[in-house]
Amino acid sequence: MQAADNKIYQDKIVIRLIQFSVVWAVIAIGAGVYIAAELVWPTIDFGQYWLSFGRLRPVHTNGVIFGFGVSALMATGFYSVQRTSHVPLFAPRLAWFVCYAWQLIVLLGALSLLAGWNTTKEYAELEWPFDIAIAIVWICFGVVFFGTIAQRKIKPIYISNWFYGALIIVIAMLHVVNSLALPVSIDKSYSAYAGAQDAVVQWWYGHNAVGFLLTGGFLGMVYYFLPKIAGRPIWSYRLSVVAFWAFVYAYIWAGPHHLHYNAIPEWVQSLGVIMSVILLAPSWATLVNGVMTVSTAWEKLRTDPALKFIVLSLAFYGLATFEGPMMAIRSVNVVSHFTDWTVGHVHSGALGWNAMITYGTFYFLVPRLAGRELHSTRLANIHFWLAFSGTMLYIIAMWAAGVSQGLLWLSIDGLGELSFDFKDIMASMTPYYLLRLIAGLVFLLGTVLMAYNLFMTLKGQRSVKVTPPAVDPAYGVNA
Amino acid sequence: MSSNISSLTLLRSLYQPQQAFAELAGSEPSARRIFLSYSLWLLLLPPVFALIGAANFGWRLGADQPLFMATGDLLTISIGYFLALLFGLFSTAIISRWMAKTYGASVSLGRHMALITMVGQPLAMASVAHLFPDVLVNVLVLIPATIWGMYLLYAGIPVALETPPERGMLMASALMAWLLVAAVSLLGISMSLWVLGVGPLLGV
Repeated sequence: MQAADNKIYQDKIVIRLIQFSVVWAVIAIGAGVYIAAELVWPTIDFGQYWLSFGRLRPVHTNGVIFGFGVSALMATGFYSVQRTSHVPLFAPRLAWFVCYAWQLIVLLGALSLLAGWNTTKEYAELEWPFDIAIAIVWICFGVVFFGTIAQRKIKPIYISNWFYGALIIVIAMLHVVNSLALPVSIDKSYSAYAGAQDAVVQWWYGHNAVGFLLTGGFLGMVYYFLPKIAGRPIWSYRLSVVAFWAFVYAYIWAGPHHLHYNAIPEWVQSLGVIMSVILLAPSWATLVNGVMTVSTAWEKLRTDPALKFIVLSLAFYGLATFEGPMMAIRSVNVVSHFTDWTVGHVHSGALGWNAMITYGTFYFLVPRLAGRELHSTRLANIHFWLAFSGTMLYIIAMWAAGVSQGLLWLSIDGLGELSFDFKDIMASMTPYYLLRLIAGLVFLLGTVLMAYNLFMTLKGQRSVKVTPPAVDPAYGVNA
Repeated sequence: MSSNISSLTLLRSLYQPQQAFAELAGSEPSARRIFLSYSLWLLLLPPVFALIGAANFGWRLGADQPLFMATGDLLTISIGYFLALLFGLFSTAIISRWMAKTYGASVSLGRHMALITMVGQPLAMASVAHLFPDVLVNVLVLIPATIWGMYLLYAGIPVALETPPERGMLMASALMAWLLVAAVSLLGISMSLWVLGVGPLLGV
C-alpha cells in the first residue's frame, strides 16, 4: 500500500494551498478595499487603532503577497515540480508542514500587524519571531522542492523549475540578510544596519521580493502552465533559458532606484537605473515567448476561460515591466516618486499580472484536480471582464492622481516658492480615491465570484489520483 | 470589393460599429488617403482643444489655483502632443499590420490605418473635454471613451481584419499591451520634458 501511495502525485496539498490562496485573496483584497475607502472617508477607522490605515495597509500587502501570492506559488510549484520530475513530492509530510505552518505565520503575522508590531521595513514588516519562523518554513519549502528535483526520473530540469528554484533561494537569502536584527522584546527589534545602509539593504530586499517573488516566481507559473493550457510547447526554449539568466543577473542590482535623491551614493543610484533599464530585455523576452506560444492556440479560447486571463496577464506584464524601468529613470522618478503613480504601477503588476495569471492558472488547475468541469464558465467569463475593467480603472485613476500630485508638489512661482499647499493638493485627490475604491470593489467582486466558482467545482469531490507517466529513455536520468 | 471606404464610414464606427467594421472588411482602402482625409484631422482635435483650454482656463490639477503657462510653452506642448499622437497612430497601425501575420488577419495597411483610427476616435472626440483642462473632468470623460475604444478594438479586429474571433481576441490583447506601453511612455516622456524645463515651472 505504501509503495502504491508513493507513486501517486501529492495533489491534495496542492488543492489545500489553492484554497488557502483564494481565502487570502478575498481577505487581503478586502483589506485593500477598506483602506481605499479610508482614504475617501478617513473617519471610518472609528478611532480604533487596529482599523487605522497604518495598521491595515501592511495587512493588505502582506496578505496579498505572502498569503495569496506565496500560497499560489507553493501550490503551483508543488504541482509542476512533480509533473516535470515524474516523481511525487519529496518528504510529503514536510510539505504538509510547510503548507499549514505558512498559513499560521500569515494569520498570526496579520494579527501582530493589527496589534501594532511593525519593523517599519516595507514588505518585511513582521517582527523577529515571525522572521525566524518564515526562514525555517521557507527552508523546508526548499527541501521539499529541491528534494523532488533531486529524485527526478527525467534528466533535464524544466525551465519553470529554474524560476521556482530561484524564487526559493533568493528569497531565503534576501529575507535572512534583511531581517538581521537585535531583539529587545517579543514585539520589538532593531535592524542590524544603520541609516542609509539600512535603506540600501531594505530596498535590495524590497525590490528583489518584487523581482524574484512577484516576477520570477510567477514566471515559473507561466512557463509551466501557459504551454499546458495552450497545448503547445514553449515557443523558444532557448530564449527562456537566456531570459532566465539575464533576469537573475540584472534584477538583483535594481533596488537602489527606490532611493533616488536620497542619502545614498549617486553611483549606487545610477547603477540601479542602468540595471533597471537593462532588465527590460529579459522581461520582454519572456513576454515575447509567452505571446508567441499562445498565438497559435486560439481555438482553446472557445472553451477555456483560463487562457483569457493568461493572455491578458501577459499584456499587463508587458506594461508593468516597461513602466518600472521607466519610473527608475531619475528625471521621471523625481516627479513620480511618492505619488499615487507608484501605487498604480504596483497594482498594474499585482492585479493585472500576478492576480490574473494566478486566476487563470486556478481556473485551469482546479477542474483537473477535481476531475470535473468548472462549475460555471459563464461566471468565469464575467470574472474576466470584472478583473479587466477593475484593473484598468485602478490604473487610470492612479495615473491621473499621481501625475497631478507630482506636478503640483513641485510647481514653483516666479520667486521660487512652492505654488501649492501640500494639504490642499491631497484634499483634492478624493475623487480619484473614490474611483480607485470602485475599481477595487469591482476587482474584489470578481475574486469572490471565482472563490464561489472554485468552491462549487471542488465541493464533494475527492482529488483525482494521478500516477507519473513513463519517462522517454532518451531523457531518463541515466541516459 | 470596393477599393476605398468613405469618411462617413469611419465616423459611423462611433455609433454603428458592426456595420462600419463589415464595410471595412470588404474594402482595400489606401492608408495614405485615409490618413490625409480623416485621421490627420481627428488627431488635430486633442492638441487644439488642449491649447485653447489651457490658454483660457489654465491647467486645473486639483489645487485651488489653476496653472497658467506662457503661450509659447503651451504651443510647444500642443505641438509635442500632436507629434506624439501622430507617432502613436502610425506606430500602432504598423505594429498591428506586423502582428496580423501572426494572427492570420488581413495585412492591408489601409485597413489597419482605418481600424486604428476608429479605435482612437472616441478618445479624440472626447478630447473636447480638454477645452476645460480640469484633470478630473477629463478623466471622467475619457474613461468611458477609453472603454468604448477598447470595445471597438476587441470587436473590430475579427470583423474588419477577417480573423476568427478567438484569434482576434489574442491579437487585440497583444495590441493592448502595446497601447498600454505607449500610454505610459507618454506620461514618462512628459515628465522628463517638464523636468528639462518644457512646460510648467518645476522646482527640480
